Amino acid sequence: MMQPVYISSASVISPQQHFEDVGFLADVHDIAEGMLYVREPNYRGYINPVAIRRMSKLLKMGISCGMSALQRAGIEKPDAIITGTGRGSMVDTEQFLLNMIEMDEEALTPTSFIQSTYNSINGWLALQTKCTGYNQTYVNRGTSFELALFDAQMLLNEAEQEMHVLAGCFDEITPDYIKVKSKIGYWKQPIPANTDLLKHSNTPGTIAGEGSAFFTLTNKKENALCSLQAIATMQDAEPAEVMAAINPLLNKHGLALDDIDLLLCGMNGDSRQMEVYNQLSQSANGHTTIAAFKHLCGEYDTSSGFATWIATEIFKAGEIPDTLVIKKGSHKGIQNILLVNHYILNSHSIVLLQSVQ
Amino acid sequence: MEELKNTLKQQIIESLNLEGMKPADIDDNAPLFGDGLGLDSIDSLELMVLLERNYGIKIEDAREGRKVLESVQSMAEYIQQHRTI
Repeated sequence: MMQPVYISSASVISPQQHFEDVGFLADVHDIAEGMLYVREPNYRGYINPVAIRRMSKLLKMGISCGMSALQRAGIEKPDAIITGTGRGSMVDTEQFLLNMIEMDEEALTPTSFIQSTYNSINGWLALQTKCTGYNQTYVNRGTSFELALFDAQMLLNEAEQEMHVLAGCFDEITPDYIKVKSKIGYWKQPIPANTDLLKHSNTPGTIAGEGSAFFTLTNKKENALCSLQAIATMQDAEPAEVMAAINPLLNKHGLALDDIDLLLCGMNGDSRQMEVYNQLSQSANGHTTIAAFKHLCGEYDTSSGFATWIATEIFKAGEIPDTLVIKKGSHKGIQNILLVNHYILNSHSIVLLQSVQ
Repeated sequence: MEELKNTLKQQIIESLNLEGMKPADIDDNAPLFGDGLGLDSIDSLELMVLLERNYGIKIEDAREGRKVLESVQSMAEYIQQHRTI
């Protein structure tokens, strides 16, 4: 069985707050446009100033967020860099494809092509930190971030000495992405304010989001924010299959659903995608608090990175912000958090995090 | 020639996204790479594309390209002699 690993730092860029902001969801932003763009930090100081001028927003988000996570852990050079992204730098990809059409496949500029590759952010992080160790980017739609975490856990389980892995995720909204998804009725109409999203869970559609989250994972328990106990991913699973997978995963770690203090669910307000969360909420007893996060970050492939950041902040703060809570439980303190998420029904994930106190 | 150099400087600023720079900030004879403007190898590829798109100039020989891209002055002189559009 995989041994737990420890999260020693966490950093985020989200529609609600970024790593330079003080507090934890202290100032929740109401956005009524149906697209939750991130609040951007000042990138200077985190990225090579010569290179920053040609970087797209996603690159700046990913690199600065990764560097911030390392700074928070007091690590200059990680032993490995592992990330996940559902779509990579879509702005650069769209720009390059547009150039190909406009220029009739002649005289194409290199920058957008170079930056459109999925592993561009990992490459920059490695260059900036002089990390020549293991470097991997997972591009597996809605489980990209979870697979990056899983790989980090495997790597740390094999390590015989102290090891620090930088793991994270990044995805962005583009106008073309919104347009394409709207053709399959993916966005909620009429558009509610994001904070009202879950009140409209009886109609189809959701709201779009973007963000980046990075974590430093280690095999050393001292000064950890929490432990990462287990990760499970499933493709094209039915709600019953996801439900059936939860108890065995918890049992392996000596737990039952009743031991979970916080169930953090990826409810996105789409009536077609709520079944597994509804079943799970009904299975949980009065001990467990049920909470949601996508009304704060929107729906995107790696939104579970934002949820993981929320979990680390809850362990740190010892309390759950009201803006997340759907049903308050009777638990005293927060020992176990279970993240249950899926992206468009086909990429499911379950992540168990535990306090180190 | 002066007008061409000013246009070229504006095009360089736009294509390389040199934030906060104006054409007047770029010295005609200062080296574009290294100590001068501090451009790098990706920028040199962007400048080659700039020449092709805006002036119809395609430089195949890397050594010739290095000479052409020494400064705004050398680029402008080359454009004046070889432009096809």
